[in-house]
Amino acid sequence: MNKPKQLKTLIRTPLALVIAAMAMGALASALYSAEPAGTAPDIGSASSQTNSIESVTNSPDAKPVVAKTEISGAELYSMHCNRCHPERYPTERTAAQWKTIMLHMQVRANIPAGQARQILKYLQDNSGR
Amino acid sequence: MTLGLVAAGCAIGTAVPTHVSAAVSDADFETLKEQVQQMSGELQSLKQTNQLDQQTIQQLQQQLGETQTLATNAVQKAEAAAQPQPLPRVPIDEATVNHNFQILGDAEFQFSKANGQNAAFSLADFAPIFLYRGGDNVLFEAGFDFILQNNGGTPGTSTDSNPANPPGDTTPTANGTGYTTTINLSFAQLDYVMSDYVTLCVGDLLLPLGTYSERSAGWLNKFPDNPLAVDALIPGTGIGAELRGAIPVGDSGKFINYAVYGVNGPGSADGTGNAAQLDIAGGNVGFTSNGGMANLHGKPDGGGRLGIFLPFKPHCDLELGISAQSGEWDNAGNHLWTAGVFDAALHLGSSLEIKGEYIQTQYGSDDLGAVRQQGWWIQAGYKLAGLNLELPVINNVELVGRFDSLQNGYDSVNGNNLFDFNTRRYSAGYIYYITTALLFEGDYEFLNSNDPSQVNQFILQLSYGF
Repeated sequence: MNKPKQLKTLIRTPLALVIAAMAMGALASALYSAEPAGTAPDIGSASSQTNSIESVTNSPDAKPVVAKTEISGAELYSMHCNRCHPERYPTERTAAQWKTIMLHMQVRANIPAGQARQILKYLQDNSGR
Repeated sequence: MTLGLVAAGCAIGTAVPTHVSAAVSDADFETLKEQVQQMSGELQSLKQTNQLDQQTIQQLQQQLGETQTLATNAVQKAEAAAQPQPLPRVPIDEATVNHNFQILGDAEFQFSKANGQNAAFSLADFAPIFLYRGGDNVLFEAGFDFILQNNGGTPGTSTDSNPANPPGDTTPTANGTGYTTTINLSFAQLDYVMSDYVTLCVGDLLLPLGTYSERSAGWLNKFPDNPLAVDALIPGTGIGAELRGAIPVGDSGKFINYAVYGVNGPGSADGTGNAAQLDIAGGNVGFTSNGGMANLHGKPDGGGRLGIFLPFKPHCDLELGISAQSGEWDNAGNHLWTAGVFDAALHLGSSLEIKGEYIQTQYGSDDLGAVRQQGWWIQAGYKLAGLNLELPVINNVELVGRFDSLQNGYDSVNGNNLFDFNTRRYSAGYIYYITTALLFEGDYEFLNSNDPSQVNQFILQLSYGF
């Protein structure tokens, strides 16, 4: 392999990866926006003042109604755990064990502290003891 | 007094002679009679009073008896209470315990069949992680890897879930006999949560070069072996210090995460700057001639990762990250080793996951100039439960596929493939979730490579995360 060809490869590969990432984002967005209005919870809004899922319900005679629902600890738990592994049952560990595990996960998976506290509360509320 | 009056009456009656009474006038008689009647009335009154007094005395005696009984009981109870009693054990609220120790980890067992070799049970791996939490903000964590491996070797099975192992795990131990047991310290780090946004980590750190190295325990990985480029091109761990954290963006679950670190990076196997002596995982730490431990070239590597997590809705999210590390690698400090990694992970619903990394490294050398290596991998998994077939066995199956590529080296001075190893690997397999923690995996790997150690193979693995 000569040098120019190698350079082309080196340029093309990262470029292709960036395009692939953008395509994945676009696909995710498309799938998200394809959900029927009023049934699809939206986590995308950054205007809310709390962790929230917003859903918009369209009615022929009324203005869209925005219903807010907080992202629960259970939802955060599911969202973050599935980044790496299958979810485990909260009852598998005690409250003190979950506290230690969540500190481990907060560091390892770089979970925001506030979300980690919500997840921990959910786990402890539903822990084995 | 009563008795005295009675006696007086009697005395009067007996002391007065009969003849005297005869001489008593009627007036006197009447007077005496009234006196006797009066005394008789007083006597009756006194008798009644006496009866009342007797009743009162009896009541008082009864009350005294009851009081004595109560007092006796009270004394007995007091004596009994004074005896030492064992306190009943009340379960404490574990959540209030300030310190906690526990073990997590995973274990894997493999059976494999590679081209040109007999099928064999090839590996048993036990990888515990010890966690010790001190209070709310301090955590010490250390991971070990105990591996019993068939010396017959299975080419291409870098089955070790420990990314800290040096590249070359894929090299078969040809014609060996028996088994070899190895024990590795995968990582050992002290984490101090300084604030909601900053955590200090020191020790033997899992490096955030991409995400695979940090999240590659056996039961986390959807394949029994690591991507080729991860094993061959970047170190999994490094001794040093790191600041890391996550910052929420808005309030919708998005966040940016970061890590910056300084570690002892790759070193030279023999101290020279010759290209073939690069030791990715060895670390440039060693004993100097005076017996002290030192970084052999005096300068650690610096690195970092910046990532963003974008949830679209529950179970739908995209995570992107870019990371890099750079530092001198030869003892003379003449050459830099630099790595860059781009990582991405996408979840579409609870059934589909796609993730991958692109890795590129470059290092200078005395003999061959700048050497460039690169590789990438992408894998997808689809849980058949997403088909809603309501079949128990099918619902526990996830189909997985992976493509990974490794170009082992390119000589930018002479325009040649340095090590002339180019490998493309296509893997297809499954995961059967016996439980969420017990996984039965299998895959077949097709290789297209000019590296003779890389051959097609079939791997079955039972893994358990605890």
